[in-house]
Amino acid sequence: MNNAQAGSKKAGENILTFIGRHSYIVVFVLIFIVYMLTTSGLTWGGMMNIFRHSAVVGIIALGMGLICLTGEIDLSVGSMLAFDAGFSVVVFNKTGSIILTLLFALAFGVVCGLINGLLVGYIQMPAFIVTLATMLIYRSFAQYCCQRIDKVLLGGGSSVYKMSRKLPDGTELAAYQRMYNFGNGKIATLPIVGIILILLTILFVYISTSTKFGKKIYAVGSNTKGAQMAGINVAKVKVAVFVITGLLVGVSAFLWISMNASADPATTGNSYEMYAIAAVVLGGISMSGGKGRVLGIFFGALSYTVIDKIIVALKMDSLINNAIKGIILIIVIMVQIVGPKVRARFKK
Amino acid sequence: MSLLEMSDISKAFNGVTVLSGVSLNVEKGEVHALLGENGAGKSTLMNILTGVYPKDTGTITFDGETIPAMTIPLSEQKGIAFVHQELNLFNDLTVCDNIFMGKEYVKRGGMLDKRKMMKEARELFNSLGVDIDPTETVSGLSASKKQLLEISKALFFNAKLLILDEPTTSLNNEEVDHLFSIVNGLKEQGTSFIFISHKMPEIFRISDRYTILRNGRFIETGKIADTTPEQVASKMVGEGFSAAAGSYTKRELGDVVLKLDHLSGEGFSDISLEARKGEVIGLTGLQGSGSSELLHSIFGVTRHTSGSILVHGQPVSGQGIHSAMKAGIALLPPNRKENSVLPDMTILENMVAAEHTLSGNKQHISVKRELEKYEKYHEMLSIKAESPLDPVISLSGGNQQKVFIARWLNTEADILLLDNPTQGIDIGAKAEIYHLIMELAKSGKTILINTLEIPELEKVADSCAVFYNGSIIKTLPHEEIDETTVMLYSTNAVDDNGGNNHE
Repeated sequence: MNNAQAGSKKAGENILTFIGRHSYIVVFVLIFIVYMLTTSGLTWGGMMNIFRHSAVVGIIALGMGLICLTGEIDLSVGSMLAFDAGFSVVVFNKTGSIILTLLFALAFGVVCGLINGLLVGYIQMPAFIVTLATMLIYRSFAQYCCQRIDKVLLGGGSSVYKMSRKLPDGTELAAYQRMYNFGNGKIATLPIVGIILILLTILFVYISTSTKFGKKIYAVGSNTKGAQMAGINVAKVKVAVFVITGLLVGVSAFLWISMNASADPATTGNSYEMYAIAAVVLGGISMSGGKGRVLGIFFGALSYTVIDKIIVALKMDSLINNAIKGIILIIVIMVQIVGPKVRARFKK
Repeated sequence: MSLLEMSDISKAFNGVTVLSGVSLNVEKGEVHALLGENGAGKSTLMNILTGVYPKDTGTITFDGETIPAMTIPLSEQKGIAFVHQELNLFNDLTVCDNIFMGKEYVKRGGMLDKRKMMKEARELFNSLGVDIDPTETVSGLSASKKQLLEISKALFFNAKLLILDEPTTSLNNEEVDHLFSIVNGLKEQGTSFIFISHKMPEIFRISDRYTILRNGRFIETGKIADTTPEQVASKMVGEGFSAAAGSYTKRELGDVVLKLDHLSGEGFSDISLEARKGEVIGLTGLQGSGSSELLHSIFGVTRHTSGSILVHGQPVSGQGIHSAMKAGIALLPPNRKENSVLPDMTILENMVAAEHTLSGNKQHISVKRELEKYEKYHEMLSIKAESPLDPVISLSGGNQQKVFIARWLNTEADILLLDNPTQGIDIGAKAEIYHLIMELAKSGKTILINTLEIPELEKVADSCAVFYNGSIIKTLPHEEIDETTVMLYSTNAVDDNGGNNHE
């Protein structure tokens, strides 16, 4: 009797410990079950679409996750995406080269991230303020330039950066179709952009768990002073995570224009900083730094895409979308915070 | 009649017994020392007394009244005040705001009666002989004044029993004197104190009676006058105490490894010093006298303004922590929690953090190799840990400190700067650390150890540099290191140094 009681107590404890540690998987599975129940005729293609629609936010969220692990935040990623994607379109329209467009998108992202990083890391300004300011700046530049740049370079769009099928001198661009095929294509039924998300997730899981740089990120977020006294160059680590995030925004910008063939400076990436932060938090990373797993971000981002799908499947008004995402975020964090307390009760 | 009677108190967390059948008796108007190593159950007992944790069994009688279920508000209401080691003050508010926080006087209409609060705060400080201006912001107060403010605050709300948890850790000797004179004055007026400390001389100076706990059990209670520090210490530690004394052995020293040449910086000036291979040099002085600042500067945490640091005859290239580390210098900083612990990380991750910054080019971490290193230090330093993958904060203070010593040994530094290495760790672990310092010196490390606890230096140091006002005022060889001599020099009470003692 006593033994059985102890046994069930222990089992309960283990389940709670598992939920506490891998809440992101539990959340994803629960949401996915709802998706399966609500979707009539769950198809492979439908599921693969989840990867496709998670790619841009997911990749940005990987960078956001590293920043949050150091205890900082980046509010500028959404604006940076619009800014970077817009200018990449211009570069494409000017050069017609996919490689140059990609390199530009990456380099431009790095510069945008570097500005944030230097101000936060070396000048030691609060990241919230710095990136709030660059959020306004990047978006504003994207919109302003869109009005001022030669219409030909905008692909003939007004107030939208549109990729052009022709070069300014009139030659047909084969690159246009190739970009489109890349952004919307599949390899063995997997969307290419989804594969890129998965590969980058694997890369960043490796970086965060098995490299010295990864451990330094955790050390800085865990105790900045302690990290400094262990010889870690805190400013450098902070600059690095912001630059990496810029680079990942560059990747996302390139994927974005490949998928959409345009970038709207007013709407592209709107609220993406919030979705990225939500994916990070849903993935179990603590906003105060030092705690959490990068793999969680991946599931966090997927979870949000699945919610979109559920809303579509239920034929609900898409305007209710954010309310549902917000409620789920609150519930998950509440479980994360209340869970350990319940666990402590169990132990008594 | 006793003011407080706690009898047969037991408490278990998750089935682990931390207190079993402990009794504590505090008379009215006495200072009662509660003694025991870290983990002996002192904090748990005090947390039960103040209602933080409920007790499993036992009775608490306070002021003649049996209290079946103590809670935090009830303990406050009864007049029990806990002055924590980490003070619970609002740093950005004024002294007066802090005293009346949550209990402000209000005029009709809801306005704060600032004048009345200010007046009463002044009266309070006057009656206690404490020199604090109620209008001052708390962050501007010295550590000792903050301590006195906490005590004053408790007394203002009629505390009958004050629990002082290591109140002297951040105080210099003068401030300790002042604190103790106030405690003595209050004692005469009938206030009782429970005094928790690891410092024997202070315990014997201020306490009337004592209670010793060990491993959650009651060991002994009695009058301080009837015992000696050695007896108390051996009862705290149990069997196996005594190894701590006499661990010093005279050794052959090697070449000069570290040379400071007229080094000046913030808090110290014109320091020249030579340390040889295998040598242990003690640095001491009153708080703020420059010894800790010097170690920080050698390690590159703060910049030196003039002079030079030479390692093996070569000047250290560049300033900053990384340059110092590359030159083979390591610093074990004070305040472990603030400066060393990476609380979210494992024991292993904490141990290898510094080495990682020296070998940044090879990014991949070989877990196998790191576990081998862990095993090496685990054995060498006898770190009591179950698994290297447990969180570092699951270890006791002494074992955490060993992890951080391992962190620096792992960088293969030749020069170890130890700043207050035994802060907040218990007697048993202290003895192990002294022993370890001796072993490291024998293996050829050059060690500079800064401490305010002179008995430590008697156990390990080949010589001792006494700091006063930013300069080395006297260097004592091992034979001459003793508490009285050092104290005389560190307060600049000796006049044999060529008029250096007149500012």
